[in-house]
Amino acid sequence: MLSDVITPDLFAAALRIATPLALAAIGGTICERSGIVNIALEGIMLIGAFFGTATVLATGSPWLGVIVAVLAGVAISAVHAVASVNLRTDQVVSGTAINLLALGLTGFLMELWYGHPGTTQPIPTLQPVFRIGAMGEGFLGEVWRWINGVFLSHTPIVYLAIIIAIGAQWALYHTRWGLRLRALGEHPRAVDTAGVSVARGRWVAVLMSGALGGLAGANLSIEQVGVFQEGFTNGRGYIALAANIFGRWTPIGSYLASLLFGFADALQIKLQPFRDVIDLPPEFFLMVPYVVTVVVLAGVIGRAVGPAQVGVPYEKG
Amino acid sequence: MSGSRDVVPARAWMSVVQKVGTPIMSTVLAIGVGSLIIWISGYDPVEAFAALFKGAFGGPRQIGETILRSTPLILAGLAVGYGFRAGLFNIGAEGQLMMGGLLAAWLGVELAGLTPLITIPTLLLVGALAGAAWAFVPAILKARIGAHEVITTMMFSHIARYVVSWLTAGPLKAPGQIPQTVNLSANAQIPRIQSLFSATTLEALPFFGLGRAHLGVFIAIIAAVGVWLVLRYTTLGYENRAVGLSPWAAETAGISVQWTTVKALCISGALAGLAGAVEVMGLHHRIFDQFSAGVGFTGIAVALLAKNHPIGIIAAALLFGALSAGSGTMQLEAGVSQKIILIIQALVIFFVAAEGIVNWFIRKRQKEATSGAE
Repeated sequence: MLSDVITPDLFAAALRIATPLALAAIGGTICERSGIVNIALEGIMLIGAFFGTATVLATGSPWLGVIVAVLAGVAISAVHAVASVNLRTDQVVSGTAINLLALGLTGFLMELWYGHPGTTQPIPTLQPVFRIGAMGEGFLGEVWRWINGVFLSHTPIVYLAIIIAIGAQWALYHTRWGLRLRALGEHPRAVDTAGVSVARGRWVAVLMSGALGGLAGANLSIEQVGVFQEGFTNGRGYIALAANIFGRWTPIGSYLASLLFGFADALQIKLQPFRDVIDLPPEFFLMVPYVVTVVVLAGVIGRAVGPAQVGVPYEKG
Repeated sequence: MSGSRDVVPARAWMSVVQKVGTPIMSTVLAIGVGSLIIWISGYDPVEAFAALFKGAFGGPRQIGETILRSTPLILAGLAVGYGFRAGLFNIGAEGQLMMGGLLAAWLGVELAGLTPLITIPTLLLVGALAGAAWAFVPAILKARIGAHEVITTMMFSHIARYVVSWLTAGPLKAPGQIPQTVNLSANAQIPRIQSLFSATTLEALPFFGLGRAHLGVFIAIIAAVGVWLVLRYTTLGYENRAVGLSPWAAETAGISVQWTTVKALCISGALAGLAGAVEVMGLHHRIFDQFSAGVGFTGIAVALLAKNHPIGIIAAALLFGALSAGSGTMQLEAGVSQKIILIIQALVIFFVAAEGIVNWFIRKRQKEATSGAE
């Protein structure tokens, strides 16, 4: 049984499932580093997935769908930026409004455009970047089967997410933008005193998280599922925020934490067919990602400290 | 909350207007934007809202439907609102509501044969306890290590969904094809309002033929008054509000913030659990997958619109209950998708929260005025 579970496929699935979580989690990291809580990631993903899918349905082009998904994510996150930066609204409440709006708007447009609720027609998806067959024999062949299966079997956004994690980590600690971003969340007054606009810095961060949330939605619909389904983000936006915390507000940390959630989810999917061995109802397997999230949060918080001024509106003195 | 006791009556009246003004303005704005969306979509907003109004208030049966939909919303709104007053955002009220409904549906069948005078209070209590229990772990995690309740209660809400779908499809499944539990026996059901009147009375006074509306609405109203009294006149409520206003100041004054947090989230969960029990005992009489239908989430909009005031929550719940009751007629007669109601809810939350929109303009104009004077 073990050799049926521990396969290249399991680890490949972990990477795949981690991707939308990681993109949203990095979005959350950037946003929270600037001092803005972004509960809206759930809704941003949903909006991105919907408009991305709609574009693919209309044009047949998956790449165009990805671009529109990102733009839609940016557009909806602008609402969060106006609310939390300019109007100094409670950021968690504004995020909740956006999540509800996303649920209503996508459902409404679904019925308006396609005449029915639920799920859209299937769309052409983005295909794996590499297509390399088996190579070599014996031990080397086996090693290749693992490398090929785990790392070289993926669609473009899966790789893009890894690049974004590394790039964002570098930018956060080695660029002027990164320094300012971190300062915005820790001590906005100092940033302001230095003559840098707090509002502009936070706006940029919120829009970036919107772009990443939209990309996460595109990955979900245009790479993984191949349809849009009402509410199919299923709490991923909240799990992503937990991944951001577990990753201690760093992009690479967020990615690795998402990988942990992805692995837990991949494992439960892989274990489902073995119900004659593990005698549990399927719902218990489906609960795993949510239980793991709570356990992880219970385990790390307290020791993980976020940006000092996160969630606090800045009032220019 | 400001020192309104020592100001002149005219000022006090103004403050009431201000308090009620924002929610009313927000609702009007939200319905306005909703109309715009309906119009852009190619429908007639006037026709749509006329149909909605007819579906919500067109006759005794429709009014009964509005009351029916408002009933769990009052309790869910109280749940979320009580948490907010302690500075806690119980976004997972939906999950606690499901657990309350689940326990009521399960125990209600087990207790068949007892008098309703015992069964009904027992089930209500058990539902509330189940909701409190479901909020307990997030509450402890929040109090002890600061794990954000928005994430934890949301995760528990997803877990509750799978617990319900497991039990309704498995151990508690009624015979037959549909995954649902056995119907509650009559002694565990909350009676309909119209059952209080005899057939002849109903014929003479058709107004009391309130369709599916049940006596649970009085439980909800009593709960609202109860929460109001607790918040205003008890130490428990005082500590709750103090922690909500400033945890630091509360701690300095000798209030245990941790313990208050645990109590607040559990009471919030209990109210949500009560909502679930009332919904099951008064309306569904059983549970099935997704029986909660987003009531817990609408409770967030209710609480925010009412600015967490228990009595205001009754009014806000009535508004969202009417929108929900009328949306079916709107879809049927004007062709507008019921999903527009979700959009309007979101807009209401947004506009209430962005009370700053008004303040922002005022500040801007003050700034312009002062800079002009210089």
